[in-house]
Amino acid sequence: MTGRYSARDIWISWSGILFVLVVWQAIATFGLINPAIFPGPLDVVRAAVTLVPPERVLSHARTSLTRIAWGFSLGAGLGVLIGVASGWYRRLATVVRAPIELLRPIPPLAWIPMAIIWFGLGESSKVFIIFLGAFFPVVTNAYKGMTGVDPDLFRAAQTLGLHGWRLLVRVALPASLPDIATGVRVGWSLSFGALVAAELIAADRGLGFMIMNARELGQIAVIMYGIIVIGALNFLTDWLIREALFKRRLRWHFAS
Amino acid sequence: MRTSTVASSRSQPPGWSGRTERAVGALTVAVLLAAWELAGRAGVLSAYHFPEPSRLAATIWDLVVVGFPVGVTVWQHVGATAARIVQGYVLAAVLAIPLGLVVGGVRALDQASAPIITFARSVATISLLPLAVAWFGVGELSRVLLIAYGCSWVILTNVIEGVKSVDEELIRAGRMLGSTPRQLFTRVVLPASTPRIFAGMKVALGLAFMVIVGVEMIGTIKGLGALIMEARTFYRSDAAMVGMVFIALFGFALSRLLDRLERVLLPWSGSLEEVER
Amino acid sequence: MSGPAAAPKIVVSHVSRQFPADEPERGLALQDIKLTVIPNEFVCVVGRSGCGKTTLLNLIAGLLRPTEGEVLIDGRRVEGPGPDRGMVFQYSALFPWLTALENVEFGPRNLGVPRNQRRALALELIDLVRLRGFESKYPRELSGGMKQRVAIARALATDPEVLLMDEPFGALDELTRAEMQEELLRIWEARRKTVVFVTHSIMEAIYLSDRVVILSPHPGRVRKDVRIAMPRPRQRSSTEFMAYYEDIHSSIF
Repeated sequence: MTGRYSARDIWISWSGILFVLVVWQAIATFGLINPAIFPGPLDVVRAAVTLVPPERVLSHARTSLTRIAWGFSLGAGLGVLIGVASGWYRRLATVVRAPIELLRPIPPLAWIPMAIIWFGLGESSKVFIIFLGAFFPVVTNAYKGMTGVDPDLFRAAQTLGLHGWRLLVRVALPASLPDIATGVRVGWSLSFGALVAAELIAADRGLGFMIMNARELGQIAVIMYGIIVIGALNFLTDWLIREALFKRRLRWHFAS
Repeated sequence: MRTSTVASSRSQPPGWSGRTERAVGALTVAVLLAAWELAGRAGVLSAYHFPEPSRLAATIWDLVVVGFPVGVTVWQHVGATAARIVQGYVLAAVLAIPLGLVVGGVRALDQASAPIITFARSVATISLLPLAVAWFGVGELSRVLLIAYGCSWVILTNVIEGVKSVDEELIRAGRMLGSTPRQLFTRVVLPASTPRIFAGMKVALGLAFMVIVGVEMIGTIKGLGALIMEARTFYRSDAAMVGMVFIALFGFALSRLLDRLERVLLPWSGSLEEVER
Repeated sequence: MSGPAAAPKIVVSHVSRQFPADEPERGLALQDIKLTVIPNEFVCVVGRSGCGKTTLLNLIAGLLRPTEGEVLIDGRRVEGPGPDRGMVFQYSALFPWLTALENVEFGPRNLGVPRNQRRALALELIDLVRLRGFESKYPRELSGGMKQRVAIARALATDPEVLLMDEPFGALDELTRAEMQEELLRIWEARRKTVVFVTHSIMEAIYLSDRVVILSPHPGRVRKDVRIAMPRPRQRSSTEFMAYYEDIHSSIF
């Protein structure tokens, strides 16, 4: 949405959330649903402060973020490499695409049992799942971007003095950047989902684990707290990607 | 034969013909499988970590006939997973589509709900599992509701977008042809937004599929996700791998089903590229 | 009409070109083409769809190699594309990730021209095509006519002696097209180049060029070579113009 927001617009936007919060707190305060299992927003805040000290949350968050940083970098990095290379060398594409297309329909989470068999219950298995989440969208989009470049752009560049690998660097890569960026955004979101799931299913640290642990302790408010933290992180990181990548560097392609 | 494509090679990248390409692709996969088989037989790859393809083929039969755990064939697992997906998905559609149509049509509602929707979508669906279990117990209900939650927001977003992005000119044309507001809605807005809605439904189904596999890995022994998790617990890496294959096939079948449906219901539209995830 | 015999700029000598193996059509796209263009001449190539006009242009550009015969520029054989032959495409083919100015600087940058110099050069060309004020815009933000102006400026930036244009105004609306034709003539008068211009439009060909070369299709062959002996600026409604039109039109159809 472009343009200036009137005061009325801002009011309306926030009214929705306020409404939800008020109803939520009301249900909790008046005990419409068993308060033991339905804490209100204020209870969540209280639990956040008392039951889970900030250092602990930060430590969990740091574990989670480290995992996803590793997994995503590896997945996106390899994805860009293979996607660009197979987009440029068509022979490579023929060889590489078949195995990739066969493995792609398997959701990252379905790899968890094998990941545990191969890597045990340590960090590597989680990083592997996250890696898978990022790899497939990125490699697919990078390939699509590379093969979708307007051939006239290459012709024009050649008449302007470019040849060989310099065509790759100065024409093909910039031209496929929008697609790669889309792949990165999707890959990040899948990686995030994979991270959370992996931490719920098989971890002893991290935000996902924090939630599972809270359930075993019956601390519903902490569960909610964890859910909100994860959601906030998800939103924030996606927003960062959109701002830095799509709105700035790629404004020549994407209309804001 | 490459004749005189010199510098023009970038405009027409060198490669093989379409048929050769497919053959090479198939050959690559065959070579990889063969290498895997040989490595396993030679003892280079551990049978536990990488059960050979021949063993996996036998396991397929095993899962189909005998079942894992014994008595639960793979089709029963598929059925359990499918049932959960269908129930959650239909529930989501029934709630989200009408709601989306209304919200998309009323600007104030759209503005008010946008932050809520954005936030709700940021919440990782699977992170709600512990909460769902705490509230609804360990039975099917929490699983179905979880799927419904995840799908609802995706469908909702796309329905709203679909309604909002109906081409102004179509509405103007409808007005000029004498449509009442109600007719405008049912005969112009609704059909015009269907491609986008359908695209959202496709994404939602994919999401449902991904979520259910993860959800089934906790607290249940029936379902494709449960199958592979149980397999691991009992060191049946072969069953885990075959389970993955079935999962992939299932996912593939789901998307094909929707494509087929789209062609039947919406023969007049091309497929949409841009969709809200 | 002609001064002392000028050494030809472009010589297309007995050139034939086969359709590539992976295309559905078979046989020869062009057969035994002979064409000579003298320096600073403006030549238009016209013909029906499929007569090979674009193929011929690509051969001169060096983007394709002939299966028989050779193309000579200044007596030297063409081995590949290069900055000595600038090219303008129908859909401008501007690099979308670069601003108008950066697009124009693209060629000089490849040739190693230092930054200040190439910036000055590019701005000069932006002025020439009358786009001052729009140099920082991305192609996405420019209209069709503006994009073609940038494309022309970009092609001129490497100071080629030959300008090859493939239906550059074909995608523009009629008014913009007429405007661009004027602009092109103005630029051509200012920066004398040898121009080979491919077009569908007989009117456009007669209006712009010194010579109109007519190709006939299946396989592509030179049908006729008509010298346009009218002083510029030309009147599209004059009887002379119409006579040329009739002549060329009847040769094509």
